[in-house]
Amino acid sequence: MHAGTTTTHDAHDVHDHIHPAPEGFIRKYVFSLDHKVIGFQYFFTGLFLLLIAGSFAELVRLQLTKPEGAIMSHNAYNEMFTMHGTAMVWMVLIPLVTGAIGNFVMPLQIGARDVAFPWLNMASFWIFPIAALILFSSMLFGGPHAGWTEYPPISLADGTAGALWCMAIFVIGISSTMTGLNFMVTIIKMRAPGMTWTRMPLFVWATFATALMNMFATVALSAATGALFIEHVFNVPFFDASRGGSPVLFEHMFWFYSHPAVYIFIIPAFGVVSEVLPVFARKPIFGYKMIAFSSMAISILAFTVWAHHMFPSGLAPWLQLPFMILTYAIGIPTGIKVFSWMATLWGGRIHYTTAMLYAMGFLITFTFGGITGVFLASVPVDLHMHGTYFVVGHFHYVVAGGAVMGFLAAIPYWYPKATGRMMSERIGQLSFWLFFIGLNGTFLPMHWLGLEGMPRRYASYIDFAKSNPDAQFWNTFETAMSFLMVASVGLLVFNVLWSIKHGKVAGINPWGARTLEWTISSPPPYYNFKKLPEVYGRPYDYDRPLPYKNTDNELDEYPEYGRVLMPIPTPAAVGA
Amino acid sequence: MTEAAIEKGAALAGALVVGITAVIQLKNDWAARGIDASVTKILLGLMALGCVLALLAAVNVLGARA
Amino acid sequence: MATAAAAIPHGGGHAEVAARYHDVDPVYAETRDLRLLGFVLFLLSDCILFGAFIFAYIYLRVSAPAWPPFVGGHQLPWFDTSFAAFNSIVLFGSGVTMHFALENWKHLNKRKFNMWLIATIILGIGFLLGQAHEYSVVGISWAGSTMGASFFTLTGMHGFHVFVGVCFLTTLAIQANRGVYTGSKYFGLTAGTLYWHFVDVIWVALFFLFYLW
Repeated sequence: MHAGTTTTHDAHDVHDHIHPAPEGFIRKYVFSLDHKVIGFQYFFTGLFLLLIAGSFAELVRLQLTKPEGAIMSHNAYNEMFTMHGTAMVWMVLIPLVTGAIGNFVMPLQIGARDVAFPWLNMASFWIFPIAALILFSSMLFGGPHAGWTEYPPISLADGTAGALWCMAIFVIGISSTMTGLNFMVTIIKMRAPGMTWTRMPLFVWATFATALMNMFATVALSAATGALFIEHVFNVPFFDASRGGSPVLFEHMFWFYSHPAVYIFIIPAFGVVSEVLPVFARKPIFGYKMIAFSSMAISILAFTVWAHHMFPSGLAPWLQLPFMILTYAIGIPTGIKVFSWMATLWGGRIHYTTAMLYAMGFLITFTFGGITGVFLASVPVDLHMHGTYFVVGHFHYVVAGGAVMGFLAAIPYWYPKATGRMMSERIGQLSFWLFFIGLNGTFLPMHWLGLEGMPRRYASYIDFAKSNPDAQFWNTFETAMSFLMVASVGLLVFNVLWSIKHGKVAGINPWGARTLEWTISSPPPYYNFKKLPEVYGRPYDYDRPLPYKNTDNELDEYPEYGRVLMPIPTPAAVGA
Repeated sequence: MTEAAIEKGAALAGALVVGITAVIQLKNDWAARGIDASVTKILLGLMALGCVLALLAAVNVLGARA
Repeated sequence: MATAAAAIPHGGGHAEVAARYHDVDPVYAETRDLRLLGFVLFLLSDCILFGAFIFAYIYLRVSAPAWPPFVGGHQLPWFDTSFAAFNSIVLFGSGVTMHFALENWKHLNKRKFNMWLIATIILGIGFLLGQAHEYSVVGISWAGSTMGASFFTLTGMHGFHVFVGVCFLTTLAIQANRGVYTGSKYFGLTAGTLYWHFVDVIWVALFFLFYLW
C-alpha cells in the first residue's frame, strides 16, 4: 500500500524513543528542556517586561499633554523613550513572537518531540532575563538617552549607562542567534515523515524566515554593539568622527540588523494570521505557495534595504536610488500576502472569535502602516518626514498594529492548546475593541501632526504648538486613547491568569483547526506525539479529510486520505 | 641576508608545500558528499587561495609598500 | 596513550574501514546530522560577525583622507608583510596537518592521527606566538587610530578564535585517546576540523585586507 511512506517512517524510527518527563520542580519548571515550558517562560517574562516598557510609553505620552512638557525633566523624558523603544524591541517583541509563540507552536506544527537542541534552547531563554537585568540596571547609572538606535556621537555621552545598553543588546543578540540556529536546524531536519517543504503550515514557514534573519542579521548587531561597547569602555575610535571614525558607519552596521529586526517580529505575526484566518473563515488559505515564498522573499530582501533608514544621513545619491527601489520592492511580497488573506476571507463562513477579530484588525492596521511605509521609502518624502511624528505613527502602526496584533491573535488561538482551557471570549472581545480603538486613536493623529511638522523625540513642542494651536488637543487626545490600550493589556493579563482555572475545558481541537498540534491532547504531553504522525498533504484543505496518519486520537477514524470526506467542524467554543 | 628576506624565503617555500598539499587533498576529496565534505572543500579551496596570496606576497607582487 | 586506544585497531586495512561504515547507530547518525548542520550554521553566523567588522574596516579605510591615517601630524607605519606571510603559512600549514589528522582517523591510523593532531596544535600555538610578536612590533595602538581600532579588534577576535581552537583541539586529542570516539562516532573530530579550517580561512581574508591591500 504505502510502500514509499513506510520507508520514510522507518528512517525516522529513531525518533520513537520517548524520554520520561523530568521529576522535581526545578527540572520541570525552571531549567526545563521542554520547548513548551520554555515557551511559557518566554511568554510570562516577556509579558512582565511588556508592562514595564508600556508604562514607560505612558509616561512619555503624559509628558506630551502639555507643550512645555507636563511631568518630567527633558533628560528623564529622553531616558524614558529610549528605554521604551529598546525594551519593547529586544526584550518584549522579539522574545514574545519568536521565543514564546515560536517555541511553543513550531515543534508541535512540524510533528516533532522537541527542538533540535533543547539544551541550547534553555540557554537562550536564560540569557534573556539576564540581558533584561543588564538593560534595566543601566537606569541606575543615569540611563541611555540617545533613543533606541543609540547613534553615536550622542550615545557616547551616556557613559556607563551606554556601555550597559550595548552589553544588554549584545547579550540578547546572542540569545536570538542561538534561537534562530536552533529553529533552522529543527525545521530543516525534524519535520514529521511526509511533511515536505510545501506541506508545512504557514506559521512554520514564517518561523523559518524569521530564524534565517535571527541567525544572520543579529550577528551584525552584535558587531555594532560590540564596537560601540569597545568605544565606550576602551575609547577605541570606531565611530568618533574627531579621530577618523564614522558615526554613519554605526548607522550602517546597526540598520543592517535592525531593518531585518522589524521583519523578525512582523513575519511571525504574518504566520499567525495565516493560521487564524483559514480556520475561522472555514476555507483553504488562498495562495499557499505565494504566502510561503513571499515570507522568504521578505526575509531575503530585508538584508538589502537597511540604508532607507539613513536617507538624511548624507548617503551618496547614487546609493539612495537602489535602496529606494529595493524598499519599494518589499511592498510586492507584502502586498501578495495581504491580498491572499483578503481572498481567504472572501466567501468564507467567518466566525468572529477573539483571535479572528485580532487577525482582521491586523489586516486593517498593518496594511495602513505598510502603505505609510511606502510613502517613507521615497527619498524626497522621507527627507521631509524623517524627523517628524509621521515616522512614529508609521512605525507604531506596523509594530503595535502588526506585530502586537498578530501576537494578541496568537494568544487566544493557542491558549486552549497550551493550557487545556478556553480564554473568556467576552473579556477577549472587549479587550480587542479597546485595543483597536486605542491603537488608532493614539497613532492616527500622529500622521497629520507629523505632516504639519511636529518633531519626534522632543520633550517639549512649544514652537510647534505656537504655529499649530491644535497640537495640544491632539496630543492630549492621543494620551487619553493610549490608556485604552493599557486597559486592554490589563484585561488580557487578567484573562490569561483567570482562564487557567476558570476557562471552559477546551478538548483536543476546539477550533476545528487542521494543523498537527490540534491532533494531540491539550495541554500536550511531555513527548508531544506518542507516535510520529505521517503527513500526506497541506493542512488547509477544508473540503478534504485530514491529511495525517498515525495520529492517536479520534481523528483516526478518517485514515484513508482521499476516500472519506471529513465533515467541516464548527468552532465549539464560539458563543455566536 | 636580512630578516625580511629569510621570512619571505620561508613563506615562499611554505606556501608552495602547503598550497600544493592543499590542492592535492582537495582533489582527493572531490568526490566526497555530505555537508561536512562540501564545507571542507570550500574551506580548503579558500585556504589554497590564501597560500597563493602568501606566495605572491613573498615574491613582492602583492603588499610591496616601498 | 596506546593502551587507552586498544579498542581501536591500528593501521586498519580496507575491510576494517568498510566495516565501520556498515556499523552505523541510527540514533547517533541522526544526532550527528543535527549537530553538523547546527555547527555549519554557527560557522556561517560567525563569518557574518567577522564580515561586519571587515565591512567597518573597509568603510573606515575607504572614507579616510589618507591611509595609513595621520595621528598627531605623523603618518602611521604600514604593517610588516614579510613576517605576516610567514606566520600565515604557519597557520595554513596547520590546516593541512589537521586535514591529515582527520583523514588518518577515518582510516583507523591512530598513531599518525596523534602525530598530525599534535603538529596542528603546535603550529596553532606557533601562530599565536607569532601574533604576540606582531603586536609587540607593529607600532600602532588599539585606541590610537581607526587603523589600530580595526586591526587589533579583527586580529584580536581572530586570535581569540585560534586560542579557542587550540583548546578545542587539545580537548579532542585527550578525548580521542581516552576512547570517547569510537567506530563511526567521531563528530567532535569533524567539528574540530571544520572549525580549524574556518579559522584559517578567516585569516586569509584578514591577511589580504591588512597586509596586502
